[in-house]
Amino acid sequence: MKRLLTIKALIGFALVAMVLGVAIFAPIFIPEEAANRMHMTARLKSPSGLYWLGTDQLGRDLLFRVMRGARTSLSIAVSAVLISLLLGLPLGLIAGFYRGAIDNVLMRLVDTLLSFPVLLLALVISAMLGPSIPNAIIAIGVAFAPFLARVVRGEVLRVVQMPYVEAARAAGARDQRLIVRHILPNIMPPIIVQATISLAFAILAEAGLSFLGLGTQPPQSSWGLMIQASRDYLDVAPWTALVPGAAVALTVLGLNMSGDILRDIFDPRSK
Amino acid sequence: MTYVLNRLLSILLTLFLISVITFAVTTILPGDVATMIMGTQSNPEALAGLRKSLGLNDPLLVQYGRWIYGMATGDWGHSLVFKVAISELLIQKIKASALIVVMSMAIALACAVPLGVWAAVHRDRWQDGVASTSALVGVSLPDFFWGIMMILLFARALGWFPSSGFADPATNPGLAVWHACLPAFALGLGLMAHLTRMTRSTMTGILGQEYIRVGRAKGLSERVIVWRYALANAIGPVMTVAGLQIGYLFGSIIVVETLFNYTGMGWLTYQALLNRDIPLIQATVFVIAAVVMLTNLVVDLLYLYVDPRVRLQ
Repeated sequence: MKRLLTIKALIGFALVAMVLGVAIFAPIFIPEEAANRMHMTARLKSPSGLYWLGTDQLGRDLLFRVMRGARTSLSIAVSAVLISLLLGLPLGLIAGFYRGAIDNVLMRLVDTLLSFPVLLLALVISAMLGPSIPNAIIAIGVAFAPFLARVVRGEVLRVVQMPYVEAARAAGARDQRLIVRHILPNIMPPIIVQATISLAFAILAEAGLSFLGLGTQPPQSSWGLMIQASRDYLDVAPWTALVPGAAVALTVLGLNMSGDILRDIFDPRSK
Repeated sequence: MTYVLNRLLSILLTLFLISVITFAVTTILPGDVATMIMGTQSNPEALAGLRKSLGLNDPLLVQYGRWIYGMATGDWGHSLVFKVAISELLIQKIKASALIVVMSMAIALACAVPLGVWAAVHRDRWQDGVASTSALVGVSLPDFFWGIMMILLFARALGWFPSSGFADPATNPGLAVWHACLPAFALGLGLMAHLTRMTRSTMTGILGQEYIRVGRAKGLSERVIVWRYALANAIGPVMTVAGLQIGYLFGSIIVVETLFNYTGMGWLTYQALLNRDIPLIQATVFVIAAVVMLTNLVVDLLYLYVDPRVRLQ
C-alpha cells in the first residue's frame, strides 16, 4: 500500500505541477496572437507533425489554445476558491467558536444554501451579473462558500475542545487571539485538503459554465469553451472535443489525487 | 414521531429560506423584468411606465410578498419566453427530468455498490487498483464530456440511440426511455464514480471491525459475511451520499439536458437563464432547491427504516 501511495502521490503532484507550469509559462512562450491565428487552409486538421494536436474549425492550433486555456481555467478556479475561503472561513469560525444562536442561524442559512446545486447557483449568479470571467469567479466562489463554511465549523468544534485551547483561555487569552493563534493554525490541514478538492470542482464548474456560454467569453480560450465549440464538428473532428476534455480530466485527476494524498498525510484516521 | 414532526417543521422553515434566497439572488442582482420585456434599447418613459404597472418600484418586501402569495395560491405567473403559465410548463418538464434522474440513479447504484464492495474485499490488490482508479477518473471528467463521448460512440458511430430529443413517457413509454438512455448514462457515470469511492471506503472500514472477525471465526462463508453482515451496515452511509448527490445531479442535469436537447427541467432552467426570463428563473430555481431538500429528507427517513439503531437514539 505504501508503494501504491507513493506512485499515486507522484502522479498526482506531477500532474498538478505540469498544469501549473503550463498555466504560468505558456502565455510567455505562446503569444496571444499565435493562439488566435487562423489558418483558413488548415481547418479541422487532424493531429500531425505541423499541428501536434490538430486544429479547430477556424484553423487555430489546438495545442496553443489548450495550453493558453490552462491559465484561464486555472486562474478562474484558484480565484473562485480564494473567494469561497474568504467567505466560508470567517463564517465557519464564528459559528463554531461562538456556538449558540449565531451558530444556529448561520448553519440554517448554510444548510439552505446547500440545497441549491452548486452549478445552478453559479449559473444563476453568472447569468444575472452578465457572463464574464470576473463574474464567473464570483459566481463559483459564492456557490462553494457554504461547503467550506461547513467544513471549517466542524473542525473548529473539534479543536475548540482541545486542552491547549482551554489552557490558553485559562491563561487569559482573548477570543481574537484564541481564534487567530490557536484555532486557525490547527484547522488548516483539513481546510487545505478541502480547498484542493474544491479546486478540482471549480475547474469542472468553470468548464460547465463556459460550455453553457455563461463563463469565459470568446475569443479568450478556455477548456469549457473549446468543448462547446467542438460540438458541431464531432463527426469530422472528434479531437477538437478530446483535446480540451483530456486537459480538464488530467487537471482534475491530478487535483483529486493530490487531495486524497494530502488527506492521508494530514489525517491518519482515514488511512 | 417527534423526529418526523421536527423535520416537517424545519422543512417549512427551509422552504421559506429557499424562497428568500431565490428571490434575493434574482431580484437584487442587475437586470429586471421590464428591460427583459422591452429590450435595452427601449424608450425610458415606456420602460418606467411598464415598471410601474408591474410593481417593480414597490419595496422589495412587498414584491416578495406578492411573489410568495402567488406561489402559495398556485399562481406562478407566466413565462416571458414561452408565453404560457409557468405551473403547466413545470409539471411537464419535471416529468421528463424525473425519468432521467431515476434512471441515472438506478444505473449508478446498480454498478457502484458491487464495484465498491469488490474493491473493498480485494483491498490493496489489483482489483482494488482497477476499481479505485476508474472511479477516480470517473469523478475527474465533466458530465458533458461523457455526454459528448456517448454521442460520438453510441449515436454517431453505432447508431443505437438518438443523440438528441425527447419523447413523452405518457404517450410512448418505450420511446421515452430510449431517448432518455444516453442522458441518463452521462449523468449516471459521474455519480457512479462518486458512489463507488464511498462504498469502497465505508466497506473497508466495516470489514476491519471486530464482528466481522467473529463471523469469520465462527466459520461463516465469506459471501454471507460480505453481502449480509458487512453490506447491511454500509448501506446507510452509501444511501446518505446518494441523497446528497441528488443536488449534484440537478446541477449536472442543466448541462446534460442542454447537450442532448432533452427538454426537461435542466433545459428549461437554461432557457430561462439564457433569456433572462426572471419569473421562470425564480420558479425553476425554487423548485429544484425544494426537490433537492425534500429528497434528502426522504433519504433521512429511509435511513431510519434501514438502520434501526438510529431509531433508538
